[in-house]
Amino acid sequence: MTEQTPPLDKYGRSAAGLTYPKHPTWCPGCGNYAIWGAIKAGLAGVNCPKEKIVIVYDVGCSGNMADFNSYYGLHTLHGRALPPAAAIKLANHELKVLVVIGDGGCYGEGGTHFINLMRGNHDITILAHNNHRYSLTTGQMSPTTDKGVKTKSTPEGVIEEPFNPVAIALTNHASMVAREFAGDIPKLAARITEGINHTGFSFIDVLQPCPVFNPNQSYEWYRANMIKLDDERHLAPDKTKAWEYAMRTDKLYIGLFFKEGKPAYHQQVSELKENTLVSRSIANIDISPFLSEFE
Amino acid sequence: MINKNTLNWKVAGFAGEGIMTTGLLMSKTCAKHGWYIFDYTEYPSLIRGGHNTYQVHAGPEPIHAQKWKVDVLVALNKNGLAFHKEELTSESMVIFDQEDDNVDISIYNLAGKNFNVPMVKLAQKVGGSRVMANNVALGASVFFLGLDLSILNQVIAQVFSDKGQEVINLNQKAAQAGYDFVKSNGGQPVVNLTKKPGTNNRLTLTGNEATGLGALAGGLSFYAAYPMTPSSSLLHYLAAKASKAGIVVKHAENENSAVNMAIGASFAGVKAMVGTAGGGFCYMTEGLGFASVAELPLVVFEGMRPGPALGMPTWTAQGDLAFVLSASQDEFPRIVLTPGDAEEAFLLVQKALDLAEKYQLLVIVVSDKYLAESRFTMPKPKTSYSHERMGIDTKPQADESGFYPRYRTDQPVSQRTLPGTANGGYIANSYEHDKYGFATEEGPERAAQMEKRMKKMELATSGMPEQYYEADAQPQVTLLSFGSTKNPIRAARELLHEEGIESAMLNFSWLWPFPKDQVTKVLNSGSKILVVEGNYQGQLARLITQETGIKVSDQLHRYDGRPFFAEDIVSYVKGTMLKKKL
Repeated sequence: MTEQTPPLDKYGRSAAGLTYPKHPTWCPGCGNYAIWGAIKAGLAGVNCPKEKIVIVYDVGCSGNMADFNSYYGLHTLHGRALPPAAAIKLANHELKVLVVIGDGGCYGEGGTHFINLMRGNHDITILAHNNHRYSLTTGQMSPTTDKGVKTKSTPEGVIEEPFNPVAIALTNHASMVAREFAGDIPKLAARITEGINHTGFSFIDVLQPCPVFNPNQSYEWYRANMIKLDDERHLAPDKTKAWEYAMRTDKLYIGLFFKEGKPAYHQQVSELKENTLVSRSIANIDISPFLSEFE
Repeated sequence: MINKNTLNWKVAGFAGEGIMTTGLLMSKTCAKHGWYIFDYTEYPSLIRGGHNTYQVHAGPEPIHAQKWKVDVLVALNKNGLAFHKEELTSESMVIFDQEDDNVDISIYNLAGKNFNVPMVKLAQKVGGSRVMANNVALGASVFFLGLDLSILNQVIAQVFSDKGQEVINLNQKAAQAGYDFVKSNGGQPVVNLTKKPGTNNRLTLTGNEATGLGALAGGLSFYAAYPMTPSSSLLHYLAAKASKAGIVVKHAENENSAVNMAIGASFAGVKAMVGTAGGGFCYMTEGLGFASVAELPLVVFEGMRPGPALGMPTWTAQGDLAFVLSASQDEFPRIVLTPGDAEEAFLLVQKALDLAEKYQLLVIVVSDKYLAESRFTMPKPKTSYSHERMGIDTKPQADESGFYPRYRTDQPVSQRTLPGTANGGYIANSYEHDKYGFATEEGPERAAQMEKRMKKMELATSGMPEQYYEADAQPQVTLLSFGSTKNPIRAARELLHEEGIESAMLNFSWLWPFPKDQVTKVLNSGSKILVVEGNYQGQLARLITQETGIKVSDQLHRYDGRPFFAEDIVSYVKGTMLKKKL
């Protein structure tokens, strides 16, 4: 593949020599452009051949990125990106697995997968594009929309209180928990590289502006309401302190909240100690050890 | 004592008091006599209490199903007497414990003989616990059935081998006490079957165990499930064997996760399967379409039980047929297999794994509680299995666009690549896609991909074997069924034969694609046709009409959670179809 800008066909697809298959369809000013850039830079920073990286996409504006990347990809059903991601790693733990998912898929439709797979410390990296809205379906509330906010599906204001993904991940055994801002590409890229290199469940909640359906939480709004954990001299092993930061809602902390080293799920599966599952040969299967109990 | 072709033994008592193990011991004891067995259990969806039965039908010739009239009934409590008195004949023997449940046997007005055995007291006397009374009952039963006590002792040693010698000794002592008690108190055997020399070329196993064993033989590498009767025992079996077999078994957080995990594992290149019951299958339906549009091999095991919703968890039904044939939105190719017995389950799950990979599509293996949890005799299979991986491009070349044309449309099955392979990158997409897997909404591209996928059904049809068919020379009636109803129908045919009524049967183990030619031929063979199925509306009969244009007016349906009994089928054939006096 070459790096030159290719001519496009009538669908916006380049004809040959592509670095990416289709041009993004995001709105002007969408945080996805920045996150997309950070993903490419972040993955480039991982010392791993391109074909050994798999991106699992959920449904949403973020998931549409499946058509703009050139990695092996699985574009899943809505809310279901995490289970296949975990299984891809179990089937071939030599692969690096990144999940591109939104706040709706990760915290709403697929909330139980988020909660349960982090407990297993599956070695996958979750990049949750958190724009506090369902934007692909034109702006309804999401699990992270603040109470009282009026949206198309909540014309009198959201009644629920917002989901706190960082606090939940800290509470529920995730081994790496971070929050970053879409507008800081180098920082987010570095965090993605760190997440991929981390052995275990690494979770990055990305604060993503959606200028069309959530104009109030603009780039400027975020910049005025974020505090960098680095500035607080927060040290990642300090979970108690991390919690305090996560529980604060008038300001949003960004950076690495928590990180610990512990065995990943696949490292605790006895069948995977020696080899990957995909390398298991089925050319000669002997079932004789399994017959005696039925004789 | 009478000479019989088979023996039929039943134990009844409270759930949670070891009845399942007691029944297993009896099944294995009969099998070790060189006989065929069929066992069938009924139990409630709770852990303690409720009524639990287990029956073992055995004999020197193949046994196909459970039987209504019992030779020996072990009643571990009063309900065991009250609920099953209709199943006794003048030659039956009832074993009960007068002292333990304060039984007045006279009030039951039982047919046949009965024998008071102080089962609990005898168990305690040899140093055992209350639950050991079941072994006393087994010892007594072995005597009445004319079985060999030493074979029961061998089976006890085998089944309890992981519990230590002390437990084995105690169980054997209790069995001996039961045997000695009835022998020394004037008991006489009620059945005398011809023994056959012990045979080592058969297995005794449940439908789910056969499915699990078949999956291992078929090269399964990844199994994900969420527990739900009657599929849980398949999860338990595979989880127990995972380490030795080198496969990964994942108890997922729910069925949605399980099916999507299997899709992920399949994408990464391993043979993947999920298992669930009808209710869990509802959750999983979302994944069926995903696997199909992404053309990833997927095998789904679906165990039917009565519904709707939670229905009756531990009972049997065949009511999911229409649902399974069309579950998940829009149209896509699928193969639906409906094994009828343990041997078919063993073979068809291998076939399912093979076909899923060969055609890159969804294969659903449909079972039910009756098949899943009943124990069968099946021929010992060969031990070595060889599988070639199919449809995987290990040296992919990107085309002029720089991407790999994973979904090229020049043939129904296009080569796929596995992550980790250089130059093979593509998107396995839940959206409609172009040949690279990138999402598309263009009409011609959509139509081409749709046609590519649907053409797999022609391949599947061409590779379909004949359905199970057996017939007398001049059948007056032909019985059509699918899945596990095969068993009572085979038993019914034997009963019809004894009464001089010639019959035939066709049992579907491949329901989709539909074996139209064979079925049309049978329907036009001139004999009367009866469709027997475990649902209310006659879903199989409707399918037959839909696919052949032929209506079948005689239909026998059952939807009370119980399997068909051969006796019921015979009485319908004789009374309703042939207008004979019953």
